[in-house]
Amino acid sequence: MKKTLIALTLGTATAALAAPALAEYPTRPIQMLIPYGPGGATDLSARALATALTPIVPQPVVVSNRAGAGGTTGSVAVRDADADGYTLLFARVGSHTVNPAMNPNLPFNIDEFSYLGIYEINPVACVVNSNSGITSIDDLIAKVNDNPGTVLFSSAGVGTLPHFGALMVLDAYGITDLAENVIHIPTEGDGQALTAVLQGTSDFYCGSTSPAAPFVQSGQMVPLLVTSAERIDGFDAPTVDELGKPELQALVGWTGIAGPAGLSDEVTERWGEWLSAAAQDESFMNFMTSGGSVVQVMSPEESVTFINDAYEVFRRLVIELDLEID
Amino acid sequence: MTFMEALAAGFTLVAQWESIAFLALGVTIGVIAGAIPGMSATMAVALTLPFTFALQPIFGILLLLGVYKGGIFGGSIPAILIKTPGTPASSATALDGYPMAEQGRAGEALSMSLYASCIADFISNIALILFAAWLASFALNFGPPEMFTLIVFSLTIIAGVSGDSLVKGIIAATLGLLLATIGLDFIGGTERFTFGSVDMRGGLNFVAVLIGLFALPEIIAYIRNPEAKKHRVRGMGYSRLKWPDFRRSLKSIFRGSAIGVFLGAIPGIGAAPSAFLSYSEARRASPQRENFGKGEVEGVAAAEAGNNGVAGATLIPLLSLGIPGDVITAIIIGAFMVHNLTPGPLLFVNNADIVYALFIGLIASSFLLLIVGAVAIRAFRYIADIPSDLLFPGVLVLCIFGVYAINNSIFDVAVMLVMGVVGYIMLLLRFPAAPFLIAFILGPMLENSFRQALLMSRGNLEIFVRGPITILFWCLTILSVVMIIRATMRAARLKREAARSASRVAAEPKA
Repeated sequence: MKKTLIALTLGTATAALAAPALAEYPTRPIQMLIPYGPGGATDLSARALATALTPIVPQPVVVSNRAGAGGTTGSVAVRDADADGYTLLFARVGSHTVNPAMNPNLPFNIDEFSYLGIYEINPVACVVNSNSGITSIDDLIAKVNDNPGTVLFSSAGVGTLPHFGALMVLDAYGITDLAENVIHIPTEGDGQALTAVLQGTSDFYCGSTSPAAPFVQSGQMVPLLVTSAERIDGFDAPTVDELGKPELQALVGWTGIAGPAGLSDEVTERWGEWLSAAAQDESFMNFMTSGGSVVQVMSPEESVTFINDAYEVFRRLVIELDLEID
Repeated sequence: MTFMEALAAGFTLVAQWESIAFLALGVTIGVIAGAIPGMSATMAVALTLPFTFALQPIFGILLLLGVYKGGIFGGSIPAILIKTPGTPASSATALDGYPMAEQGRAGEALSMSLYASCIADFISNIALILFAAWLASFALNFGPPEMFTLIVFSLTIIAGVSGDSLVKGIIAATLGLLLATIGLDFIGGTERFTFGSVDMRGGLNFVAVLIGLFALPEIIAYIRNPEAKKHRVRGMGYSRLKWPDFRRSLKSIFRGSAIGVFLGAIPGIGAAPSAFLSYSEARRASPQRENFGKGEVEGVAAAEAGNNGVAGATLIPLLSLGIPGDVITAIIIGAFMVHNLTPGPLLFVNNADIVYALFIGLIASSFLLLIVGAVAIRAFRYIADIPSDLLFPGVLVLCIFGVYAINNSIFDVAVMLVMGVVGYIMLLLRFPAAPFLIAFILGPMLENSFRQALLMSRGNLEIFVRGPITILFWCLTILSVVMIIRATMRAARLKREAARSASRVAAEPKA
C-alpha cells in the first residue's frame, strides 16, 4: 500500500515536472483581468465573452475586476505577470490607445504587451440633445464658432475615448485652440456623460454608440455622425465618409485580449481559435450587437497593426493640439 | 394597448410560476452575496447578468432585480453581527446594529433591519409606479450645482454622528476628506498623493477603508485584551423585536423611505449617503437621541429604510429616461438591451406589458424579501453564538479574503490593515469613525460637482444659486448649521451647570 502510494506520488511528480513540455496549453484555469469596475462597458463585454468561451476553452476562464486609475492598475498587474498565458487582460481603447497617447506619465507602454486578438469594435457617434435645435454636425460647428468658449462636451473622464473623440471631431472640422473654444466636463462614466447631455449640463458627447443607443432610439438625442464605414441601424446619421472626413474612421473603440509581452506561439494560436469559435455563439453575438458593437475577430498581427495605427494617429493629434495631460 | 389591457398583459407575464421562482432565486442570491463582506450587490448583479441572456426577458430582468434588492438587505446582516458592513450602504446600520448585538439583541436588530428594509422597499416601488414621471423631471433638473449644494447639506450629518465631541467629529471628517483626494485628479487627470505608486493612482478602495475602519479595531482591541470579552456569552440570536419598539420606529422608517426615494431618483448618489442622511434625521427627531450609536433599534430602522428606499427609485431615471442611476442599473440596462428592449420613454409605448409586469414583480419582490430574509436571519443568527476566540479570527480571515476579492489586489488588503490601525487609534482617542467614513464617501462627489459646476459657468460662482433646488439646499444647510450651533451651546451650558452643581455638592459636606 505504502509502496504504491510512493510510486504514485513519484509518478505524479515526474508527470508534473515533465508537464510543461508535454501537456498542451491550458493545463490549469486561465485568469483574465478586467481593468475596469463591474458594470462598465468593458466589464459587460468581457463577461459576455467569458460566458461564450466556457464551452470552448478546456479549462475554466476566471474573470475578475482590477479597477483603478482609468485601466492603469489592471494593465500594470498583467504586464508584470508571468508570460505563460495564464494571466491575461481585457485591453480596451481607453487603457491601450487613448490614455497612452494623452498621458506621457503612464507607468506602462503599449508595446509591453502581447496582443492575442481584438474581438469587438465600437463605432463612435456624436450626439446632442434633441431639444437643442442642432440637427447636423455643421450646426454644432457653427455653434462653436459663433459662441467661442461656451460649448460644453462631456466625457467618461480624462483620457477616455469620449474626451479625445470630441476634440478629434472638432479638429477635423477646423476648430482651433480647443482648450479655449470648448469646455470639457469629465464625469464618472459614459452613463453620466450622456445624462449630462440629457440634462443640458453638456451640449454634446462623442463616444461609443452602445451607451448612446437607447437615447437615440427614444428620440431624446439626435446623432450627428457615426465613424463606421456604413450607416448603423437605429442611428439616423451620416457616416464620416459621407461627410467627407474619412480620417475620422480611425476614431473607434475596441476590446481585445492581451497578455504580458513574450507569450508563446501555442498560446497565441489557441486564442485565435477560441475567439473565432466564441464569435459564432448566438447569445454572445446578440448581446454585443444589441448595443451597436461589431464583433470582429482580428488575428494577433492585425490587432497589433490596428492598435499601433490608432495610437500613432491619436498621438500625432495629441502633440499637434497640445492635449497632453501633465 | 390601453392601461387595463397592459396591466392585464403584465399580470399574465408575472403570474407564471417561473417569474416568481426567478425572482425568489434572485433575492436569495442577493441576500447571500450581500452578506459576504467584499461581495457587493453590484458584483452579484454583474455575475448574474450572463445567465439572463438565455432567459425570457421578463424572467431575466426579474432575476437581476431580485439580486439587487436582496443584496442591499443582505449587507446589513454582517454589519449587525460582526460590524463588517457587507455593502457600503449598510455601514450606517452597523452604528447601532453592532452595539445591539453586543448587548445580546442581535435577533431584534436583524428583525428590525428586515422589516424596515421591506417597508422601505415597498414604499420605493410604489413611488416608482405612481410618481415616476414627476420624479424623473426632478432628476433632470439635478445638475452639478444642485448636486454640490445637496452634498454640502449632507455633510451636516457629521454633527449627528460625532458622538460627544463635535470638534473630534470635524477632525475625523477632515481626515476622511483628505484621504479621498488620493489618486488621479478627476478633472485634470494628474496624480495626487500617489508617491509614484501604481496602486495609489486608483485611490483607496472604498470597501477596504470601510472594513478597516469598522471591523478591524474590534479585532485589535480583542487581541490586546482577550479577557474583556471571554466570559461574556452574547447568546443573542433569540431576542425578539417588541411591538412598541417597532411602532415608535415607524416614523423613522417612513422618513427614511422618503429620503431614499428622492436620493434614489437622482442619478449618481447611491444608497450610502441616503442611509446616513436618514439615520441622522431620525436621530435629530427622536426623543431617545442620547441612545443613538449605543444600540438604538430606531437607528437600525432608519439606516436600513434609507438604503432600501433607494432600490425602487433608482429605476425611475432608468425606466422613464433611460439613465442609469448607479452602476447596478447600468448593468440592468444591458439586460434590457440584449432582448431588444430600450429603457426610456419608449418602453412605456412599445413594451407596456413588460413595464407593468416589472411593476407587479417589484411589488412581489418586497414580500419575497420578507420571506427569504426571515429564513436568512434564522440561519445567520447562530453566528451570534460563536465564542469570541473563534469568531474574531474567523472575521479577520473573512475580512482579508473579502477585501482581496474586490480587486484581487494585495494593496487593498494593506489599505484595510493600515486603516484598521488608524481606526484603533481613533477608538483609543475616542474619535468617531462615522464622520470619517461619511466624508470619505461624499468627498469625491463634493469636489467633482463643485469643479464641474465651475467649468460649466467658467468660474462664475453665481451658478451655485441658479435655481430653486440650489436655494432650497442652501436654506436647509443654514438651518441645520444653526440647529447644530444651538444644540452644541445648550449642551455646553448644561455641562457647565452640571459641573457647577457638582462642585457645590462636593463643597457642601465640608461646610
